Amino acid sequence: MLKEEKEKTHPVVPLGKGDKENPMTFDPTKAKLSASCEVPGILFGLCHDTQGNKLYAAGTDWSVYCVDLNAEKPTVEKRWTHHENYVSALAFLDGVIISSGFDRRIIWTSADTGELVRKLEAHDGWIRDLAVFPGGERLASVGDDMLVKIWDAKTGDLIKTLDGHDQKTPQGYATALYAVAITPDGKHIASGDRIGKVLIWETDSGKQVSEIHAPTFYTYDPQKRVRSIGGIRSLAFSPDGLSLAIAGVGTVTNVDGFVGPCRVELWDWQTSKHTFTAQDKHKAILNHVAFHPNESLVIAAGGGDSGGILAFWDTKKEQLIHKAKPKGHLQQFALDPSAKHLHAVGHGGFQTWTMSGVPEGSP
Amino acid sequence: MLAGSTALGVGGLSIANELPAAEALKKQQKRALFIWLAGGASQFETWDPKSSLETGGPFRSIPTAVTGYHVCELMPKLAKLMDKIAVVRSLNTEITAHAPAADLISTGRPKEPALNYPEIGVILAKELAARESKLPDYVSFFLSTEGRRRPATGFLGGSHAPMLLENSMRPGDIDLPAGLSDLKHKEREHLRELLSSEFARGRVGGELVKGYNSAYAKVRGLMQSDHLFDIEQEPAAVRERYGRTVFGQQCLAARRLLEAGVPVVKVARGFWDSHHDNFESHRELVPDFDHVLSTLLLDLDQRGLLESTLVIVLSEFGRTPKINKDVGRDHYAAAWSCAFAGCGIKGGAIHGKTDADGKTVADGEANAADIAATIYQAAGIDLHKEYHSGLRPVPIAKEDAQPIDEILV
Repeated sequence: MLKEEKEKTHPVVPLGKGDKENPMTFDPTKAKLSASCEVPGILFGLCHDTQGNKLYAAGTDWSVYCVDLNAEKPTVEKRWTHHENYVSALAFLDGVIISSGFDRRIIWTSADTGELVRKLEAHDGWIRDLAVFPGGERLASVGDDMLVKIWDAKTGDLIKTLDGHDQKTPQGYATALYAVAITPDGKHIASGDRIGKVLIWETDSGKQVSEIHAPTFYTYDPQKRVRSIGGIRSLAFSPDGLSLAIAGVGTVTNVDGFVGPCRVELWDWQTSKHTFTAQDKHKAILNHVAFHPNESLVIAAGGGDSGGILAFWDTKKEQLIHKAKPKGHLQQFALDPSAKHLHAVGHGGFQTWTMSGVPEGSP
Repeated sequence: MLAGSTALGVGGLSIANELPAAEALKKQQKRALFIWLAGGASQFETWDPKSSLETGGPFRSIPTAVTGYHVCELMPKLAKLMDKIAVVRSLNTEITAHAPAADLISTGRPKEPALNYPEIGVILAKELAARESKLPDYVSFFLSTEGRRRPATGFLGGSHAPMLLENSMRPGDIDLPAGLSDLKHKEREHLRELLSSEFARGRVGGELVKGYNSAYAKVRGLMQSDHLFDIEQEPAAVRERYGRTVFGQQCLAARRLLEAGVPVVKVARGFWDSHHDNFESHRELVPDFDHVLSTLLLDLDQRGLLESTLVIVLSEFGRTPKINKDVGRDHYAAAWSCAFAGCGIKGGAIHGKTDADGKTVADGEANAADIAATIYQAAGIDLHKEYHSGLRPVPIAKEDAQPIDEILV
């Protein structure tokens, strides 16, 4: 059931409302949680049908949930359960929801009917992330078999397998391949693993063209607890395709938890040159990172020892603009097309954040 | 293959060759090995999976060598050896703070103001130690610092303290001083022993001198046993089999010590306290545990040592059925698991069960005292034997403890 958040200085803005009639500027310092919908457990994956204005999300209970943002009073609806384990990521493509899961499958489902369209045994290990190429012809997925796979998004045919990530951590333990991202022109793919390595591949040839080592995202404690935490949990290319954002947690002091500074690194991926570190003392892992379309703003969301966080960095000024405290630990978010609302999921369900209460042109 | 294999099947063993007289004896002597999963391993991700349920998390369960019993998919190697392992799935130990929970399960008794009870391992060492042995009675590996425990000797006193290996795999300060040969050192020891005996002759207090002699003999024995701690002396194939993780190396060293006659060894593997990112940490820790423990059990079995070596896998508690906001599991003592193998244990026995969600014990509830009594009984120690704390007689096992007969031979 949707709950409107009480807020003293600005009127409550319902989920997805207010864009056309009441256009607003994107001001991170005005970020306000405007609505939420509760879902049991944790939602990991989120996608936005921007034409139908519906949100789809799924996570620990295997089911896909939908919030219709057009409704007068949007509520959450449990739509279908096709996976047989945690659902890790979702994408919307031409009326179809493509989802990946820890059941090692990629599943295509009709968004309207909930009918299962296609089911692939895609990886030999949990599938952690997927991304649709610009144009929607292809799809990339990453899994704990440490492979990147490129699929025909319409037929499910495997086009290419990219193999280059280490199969074990330097200490000999299991590792993971958490994140995948695609350049805006679709010509390159980046994949990020647990030990802080990012490989960049040329899509058509499958050739590895660049490599980034960002070891700060992986903390191995050889003495106190003799285990590790961290990993590259999200990747995003800038709108001009030149910069790559890497998200996770910085050096952790207690690997029992996310007890380290939330961290994003920006890299010039073509030269493997580190250009900016966006880090805050808020102890959390950042599970998702994205560039705002204006390119000078990086947004990241996560949670940890200091609680949930939604953070905004100005990449030109190289400074933190604002950090909001969401309800619980966030896993993923989506900016609406006008980039004035931010929809997020995580522990407890859906959240919608309004990025400004002040209409454009107001004094 | 477990049954019918021989010690030679794993490439020979230098220790056994060096101690041929111990070959027959070692099969009679009972030993104990504690695998201490410090911080609290998750029962869901090990011995009591609840796959497909909300509390079960994302790991699947897999069948084992015991019909109808499943373990977490992270333990495929132990699954194949379940006919050698017994599991108690129904522990309810109530305490959910690390230190007091560890005290409870390590002694088998709740704290009493007037009774400082020794840990189970210390009692086992006292009971199982061979007379005149020059080896330590109890060696404890605890290299990680978080949650580190030094086995409490309680009212038995400091003379029963184990050898602690906390900074390296090898005891410190046992090298001969530079310029002193082994022969010279032996000669000095003979002279010291002669003088001590002469001094003791006809004097009261001879027991005291005997005690000194025994202590010196232990030091000398320890120096002679230095090689036992050196896993580099193992064939490369054996070292490779145990793997290169710290836990693997410690377990290989433990096997060398047990084989040479050390009655009690403890290997602590920290730190399982997965309040955040429980599944990622168990993806890292459990496969290592699975590989190393299965290798160790096979090795002990192939060397003819498993039936005389009681292997005990314990934590201070388990982890919550509820998965928290940080994808973690917190401390939980109301329904969790431990495991045993070897001496006195009925392999393949699965005692007790939890409810469908793993939230409560549904059958066969056992407490810390029951676990202690089970350990003593498996090791052939009389539960009713009394020690004395001052003038107070104290039975080895708590008065109301019930050994879990279902898992005992």
